[in-house]
Amino acid sequence: MAQKKPLKVLTEPLFDDNPIARQILGICSALAVTTKLDASVVMALSVIFVTGSSGLIIGALREYIPNKIRIIFYMTVISSLVIVVDQVLQAFLPDIADQLSVFVGLIITNCIVMGRAEAFAQKSPPLLSFLDGIGNGLGYGLILVFVGFFRELLGSGQLWGHEVLWSSTWYERNLFMLAPPSALILIGLFIWLLRTFKPEQIEKE
Amino acid sequence: MKALRRYLDELHPKFARGGPWERFYPLYEAADTFLYSPADVTDGPSHIRDAMDLKRMMSLVVFALGPCILMACYNTGLQANLALESQVSAGVIASPADTGWRAALLEGLGLGFSAGNVLACFVHGLLYFLPVYLMTQIAGGFWEVLFACIRRHEVNEGFLVTGMLFPLTLPPTIPLWQVALGISFGVVIGKEVFGGTGKNFLNPALTARAFLYFAYPAFMSGDKVWVAVDGYTAATPLGALATAPKEMGIQSIETGLDISWADAFLGTIPGSMGETSTLCCLLGAIVLIATGVGSWRIMLSVLVGALGSAALFNLGAEGSDNPMFQMTPLWHLVTGGLAFGLVFMATDPVSASMTESGKWAYGLLIGVMTTLIRVINPGYPEGIMLAILFGNVFAPLIDYVVIQANIKRRLARSAQA
Amino acid sequence: MLKPNSTSGTFLIALILCLVCSVVVSSVAVGLRGRQQENKRQKLRRNVLIAAGLWDADAGNKQIDEKFEQVETVLVNLPPREEGGIGDGEVEGLLNTTIDVGTYDARKASTQPVSSVEIPPELDLAGIKRRERVAPVYVVRDEAGNFSKLVLPVNGKGLWSTLYGFIALDADLVTIRGITFYDHAETPGLGGEITNPVWQQQWDGKIAFDEDGRPWIDVVKGSVVPGNPAADRQIDGLSGATITSVGVENLVNYWLGPDAFGPFLDAVRTGELDLTSAAAQPNASAEEE
Repeated sequence: MAQKKPLKVLTEPLFDDNPIARQILGICSALAVTTKLDASVVMALSVIFVTGSSGLIIGALREYIPNKIRIIFYMTVISSLVIVVDQVLQAFLPDIADQLSVFVGLIITNCIVMGRAEAFAQKSPPLLSFLDGIGNGLGYGLILVFVGFFRELLGSGQLWGHEVLWSSTWYERNLFMLAPPSALILIGLFIWLLRTFKPEQIEKE
Repeated sequence: MKALRRYLDELHPKFARGGPWERFYPLYEAADTFLYSPADVTDGPSHIRDAMDLKRMMSLVVFALGPCILMACYNTGLQANLALESQVSAGVIASPADTGWRAALLEGLGLGFSAGNVLACFVHGLLYFLPVYLMTQIAGGFWEVLFACIRRHEVNEGFLVTGMLFPLTLPPTIPLWQVALGISFGVVIGKEVFGGTGKNFLNPALTARAFLYFAYPAFMSGDKVWVAVDGYTAATPLGALATAPKEMGIQSIETGLDISWADAFLGTIPGSMGETSTLCCLLGAIVLIATGVGSWRIMLSVLVGALGSAALFNLGAEGSDNPMFQMTPLWHLVTGGLAFGLVFMATDPVSASMTESGKWAYGLLIGVMTTLIRVINPGYPEGIMLAILFGNVFAPLIDYVVIQANIKRRLARSAQA
Repeated sequence: MLKPNSTSGTFLIALILCLVCSVVVSSVAVGLRGRQQENKRQKLRRNVLIAAGLWDADAGNKQIDEKFEQVETVLVNLPPREEGGIGDGEVEGLLNTTIDVGTYDARKASTQPVSSVEIPPELDLAGIKRRERVAPVYVVRDEAGNFSKLVLPVNGKGLWSTLYGFIALDADLVTIRGITFYDHAETPGLGGEITNPVWQQQWDGKIAFDEDGRPWIDVVKGSVVPGNPAADRQIDGLSGATITSVGVENLVNYWLGPDAFGPFLDAVRTGELDLTSAAAQPNASAEEE
């Protein structure tokens, strides 16, 4: 397999091959945790940490992973990383951990993490796998932050918990934006925007 | 009239390919075909020629909506005038004349605020309905034309119906900016993102309403929104019964709100502007069925589904704490938006099932779902809007199953032969 | 060399992986447990202070420990209705001296058969089906050490979820001093407005009981008409959230009523139970360990 350039590995998942917009992976948490910008950012960072370090670990150990149990192997590594993240959040960011509730734990089942381990890290060197993990985490995080930004702005009239332009006095909160389906529509709009600028992403019929 | 035709023809080269206003051809085309029949008529032998085209079909729906529109104006005014009368007699306000520009205008016209005066009620209601309608046309029309220009489509008549249905489903007190936002969402997300009229799978008018319902529930439900008088609260029958104590039951409507079944059937009750009158919806249904525009199969199956399941729930009224169980099928028919939804919304040919047997399943699904949401779900007193959107989502699947079953049946038949 | 794909290699690597991962996970969990428990306790205490009106939104979590020196946590025996579960010689409505207040978890207790009782449907205003036999109560004192407020934990059914919160009573045991909810899953913007401080503020000063001592709080539809005879027991309903509003009304009336804190409040009113002096109870100071 021809090796890709490190920079490309890092940046490609942002727009050209975004895991959510292009592959429609990891949607569930994008719906559940994005009512507030701060929670979205923390969730994005958690996923970046998990994808990056699982890429690093699996890339480094790829020669030693027994083929028959490789999926279980990834699963164990990823679960351990997620539990660590969950514990750290509960200890140091209790309020945000309350908001994210079970969805940090559910990073384990986020298809992006497992998908990158199987599709990339198991056949690439550790540093490149690390970059690939970070890149895909960033691609996921980008959408989370995009959705979180608009949902908090339109749904609560706030950003990062603060009023925007004295919004509490005149802004009528759009409660639809606080309900999960709004994230689906925002992701759809993001994909629309992306495909307007990158028409090559439109599927052939 | 000839001069107008000549004028349009003179303009044509400017809008045609290569002309200076090429981008705005859809606007020209829309104006032209709205005024005149299209010049290019099919002449090849393989075409079926029918007087029924999209334009005529949509115009007939608007015609069928006529009684509902008239009733919307009258009843909105009637409810407002009744409320004003009660406020004056209670001493809350001194005179209705100084309650805003509408009141000033009515006073100026010499119509007054008598609830017994049909014309006064009608004009008062019209002053509420018309701004909402105009706002719908302006905001929705803007998106229609914009997408038509970008995509080089023609502006078609589908929006005439959407733009007529949407205001009728709103409460009279709705702020105009919400009207604009709602119809924008309905047209763009409900229709244009999928490719425009004919390619949408949701009814755009209902999509718009559902968006407002979830975005601004305080303006779309509750007791304060149904009567166009500041600070006046009036419950709808469904809202009142849903929160009534069990012992009150249906009495909470008849004596609590002083609404008889006949009132609800005629539509002189608080509610969304166009959907209170079951009688007007019935007249509309007759027009739609007689002209073949609306599917009687869908209307009948929604009716059977909704009233049948209502009857079943009603059997269990004794043993349940839920007051909604006590609502009889006949009451279900005349309250809320059931009649309006089943006649005008569920039958939308684009978002409904296309196959004839599929229409039965589609209608039954909507009917049962409506009653289920009304009776069982504690959060939403009315269910028809959500039920129809739910049915819309299932319509392609229903059609698929019907067509596959048909293919299988015919394969089996040809194998035998 | 190690051959990963041989049977023994597979076993060996699986073993090493399990060992490494379990060491990492358990050391993180153990290392951070103290902080996490501290966070939970802080959250609880913060909400007690919010209900009591002592919380200063700008001061952050630092104020909690300092202000909690004015607060004493005690355990109260709720009406037992069934035998057992709270210790020998415990009396309904009085303080529990058997259970350790520092480790007692009322929410957990309310789900377990030993430490909870079933509420008969005709009494179950709050719609919770079971409740704990022993509930914590927070006694708030002023700077001089005099008894000034009581904070009681309450919970009950809303539209979609069970609402958990605290209600604060004045030392006269009749006037409400505040309410707060810290855990619920109501619709954001509608029923979820029970956490809105503006709505919570209007509870301050309302009268919770009628002349006969029965709890009677009325969350009305729409707004309270000022000056009407019942205005001092009425609360504005949450717009668009009738069922949540009714739920709040019912849960307050339940928890202040005879099946919950009623006997305890009576005991304090009659002087059978004296809360005026600090550290009146053996267990009270044993809290936080």
